[in-house]
Amino acid sequence: MRLYAYCVGDELAAETFEGATGVGGSPLMLVRRGAFAVVVSEFEGDAVPASRENVTEHNRVNALALARSTPLPFRFGTLVEDARLGAYLAKQEATLVAALGRVRGCVEMGAKVIWDAGGRAAGAVEEDEGEAGESPAAGAGTAFLLAKRREVLGEEALRSRAEGVAAALASRLEGLARESSVQVNPKGSLVVRAAHLIERGREEEYRERVRALGREREDLRLMASGPWPPYSFSGPRS
Amino acid sequence: MEKFPPDSPAPVSPEVETEHAAAFAEELRRVADSLPERINLDSRSVEQGLAKLVLTLIELIRRLLEKQAVRRMEGGGLSDEQVEELGLALMKLEAKMAELKAQFGLEDEDLNLDLGPIGKLI
Repeated sequence: MRLYAYCVGDELAAETFEGATGVGGSPLMLVRRGAFAVVVSEFEGDAVPASRENVTEHNRVNALALARSTPLPFRFGTLVEDARLGAYLAKQEATLVAALGRVRGCVEMGAKVIWDAGGRAAGAVEEDEGEAGESPAAGAGTAFLLAKRREVLGEEALRSRAEGVAAALASRLEGLARESSVQVNPKGSLVVRAAHLIERGREEEYRERVRALGREREDLRLMASGPWPPYSFSGPRS
Repeated sequence: MEKFPPDSPAPVSPEVETEHAAAFAEELRRVADSLPERINLDSRSVEQGLAKLVLTLIELIRRLLEKQAVRRMEGGGLSDEQVEELGLALMKLEAKMAELKAQFGLEDEDLNLDLGPIGKLI
């Protein structure tokens, strides 16, 4: 029998999942092996379609687990043979113990930042015909390289500004975020996508700090979300 | 294995808070749309896809070479003649890439890999 695996934990309680269903409407079950328990449901088929409904179900089950304790969510679409689950847990025991310790008592919160087109344009380097090194007699090859130089400087200025946005967010969340996972994309309008691991009960403080950054920086538009299961902090540390 | 009777507690509901919901919805939709739902496999699309992948990697290397050339120029270790020569070589490389793109019916924006949430390769 194949099982769809949602999450694993060492504090998962049976009553949390009473009567609940998962992907495809199958009833949830808790498989206990040693110190761990895995939330699963039976699944027919070889692969789980990445539909909106299935993804929502995956998150809903993990959110159910998060209501009582912090589990390690499996990647969406994880299928496992019933008979092999025990061997997997035994083999990964040390890794799982460490990973559960890392997220214990915490939830994941997310912050996203959009910067406006004007803000991005400010990072561009203006063309300067009288630039040093460009003499009227410069050949086509030199002119080509000087044009490339302006492009490179513009990109670097943009990256530097984008990293400044990420640093401003990090500074706001200092002392609150136990861990961070931040992606900076200077070329897009969604310039920063960040996930933070914070202690349970401090979600509103997180939202308020993100709000405060929004009030302080009119050039940025911010969005806070969560609490989520620790999707960004369940893998190996990067 | 434990199975349970009905009556389950409510899950934790994540809240999404922003004063710019429309802007974020548009941006996140764009990210979601960039991830293909399925890959069409026919001989023509495979050939086109392979050309696109190879040319994307060449384009990435070409741009790295350009950046390296700019660094060397800024470092001041090159004579005017060497700068001119390097620039001409890179110009020819750019022109050759334009030829190859035209041959395979590819545009500039095709020569990139959308890596989803982490942005584009180039």
